[in-house]
Amino acid sequence: MNYFTKTINKEFKIASRSGYESLMPVIYLFIIMIFFNISISYVSKNIILELLPLMIWISCLLICILNLETIFKEDFEDGTLDQFLIDDTNKEEGVTAKIVAHWLLSNLPVVIVAPLIAILLGIDYHTSLILFFSLLIGTPTMSLLGSIAAALTVSLKRNKILMSIIVLPLYIPILIFGTSAVNNSYIGINYHSELLFMGVLFLVFLLIAPTICVKALKVSLD
Amino acid sequence: MKKLLETKNLSLTRNDYCIFSDINLDIQEGQLINIYGKNGAGKTSLLKILAGITEHTDGEIIYHNDLDVSTSWRPTTYIGHKYAIKNNLTAYENLYYSLESSNDEQIILDALEVYKMMDYKDSLIKHLSHGQQKRISLMKIITNFAFLYLIDEPYSSLDEDGIKIFNETVQGLLSTGSSVVITNHTEINNIFPNTINYKI
Repeated sequence: MNYFTKTINKEFKIASRSGYESLMPVIYLFIIMIFFNISISYVSKNIILELLPLMIWISCLLICILNLETIFKEDFEDGTLDQFLIDDTNKEEGVTAKIVAHWLLSNLPVVIVAPLIAILLGIDYHTSLILFFSLLIGTPTMSLLGSIAAALTVSLKRNKILMSIIVLPLYIPILIFGTSAVNNSYIGINYHSELLFMGVLFLVFLLIAPTICVKALKVSLD
Repeated sequence: MKKLLETKNLSLTRNDYCIFSDINLDIQEGQLINIYGKNGAGKTSLLKILAGITEHTDGEIIYHNDLDVSTSWRPTTYIGHKYAIKNNLTAYENLYYSLESSNDEQIILDALEVYKMMDYKDSLIKHLSHGQQKRISLMKIITNFAFLYLIDEPYSSLDEDGIKIFNETVQGLLSTGSSVVITNHTEINNIFPNTINYKI
């Protein structure tokens, strides 16, 4: 087993023994959607259907932000991060594995459940599929980008608000293109360029985020 | 003896407060350096600086890079204040996942045997006592061979038997040519040959 798969394997083992924690993001998504439906129940069904995919997208973005703290926090608190940072090799690989594991455990369940919720609430299959694809490309980009903020704020005690302030403006392009792709699909116009741009963003951050993260962790621990 | 690392006038200042200054260390192969001093003297900070985790504010650290890179030994193994072990993993799993470059499972079993923790091999860390957790943490000395070991307060939380095992392990490391830097509150005498006590 190489270092990358070993790290992911480790994260999955820890998560499997943490009980219901891994279900939290999905439960949270359900709660937001219930609240949303209650609060705009007086609006006509057509408007609700138009807003629904966008609301799901924003909910997923918020869930992604809430989860970010967990990428490095536990490793910082138990001292694993100190040991990890002294090794000259594997640092970028280790950080990438941490981000991938975090996305698989915290965001992928949401990405899978969100289109199902959309279908349940009356959105057509095609738009739900585009919602799925846009989240499938958008949420890992948000995890990569957010991991930099998580690394920068890991040593701060109350870092959640600061982290949100750092990442929210950076999430705007992803949000715009993600919601735009879903909206275009809903009204029946071309959405490929939005998905393509999101794909490019993902690749760019996949290349640069791990290196920046390692540097940010070093700064945070100093 | 070959020199591994030396520091020249190493200083650390935080918020205009000088934690330590003018630290001159000379760490050679097979040598034990005991850095001792009162609470807040900067022992942990010094160890973290030597490990490369934090930065010093003044002075110089010279790493002698003529180490034998043909071995699978790491340049440094750092065992800090925090145990760096996961509560939801077993003792065995914690050691297995701390192995970076190899998957040699026999070395883990050997370490568990040496530290008399074989009976707790499959116990979750959260079910072990502090002393036992410390033993698991110290086992990484055996599972991650290095040229230089930096160990922060190794004797805290250990019982008499644990201290004896740790001393024997250090003795073994020194005889293979590795160097060990530990922090402590007192001087160490008559345990290891070539011990240098350095007051900070």
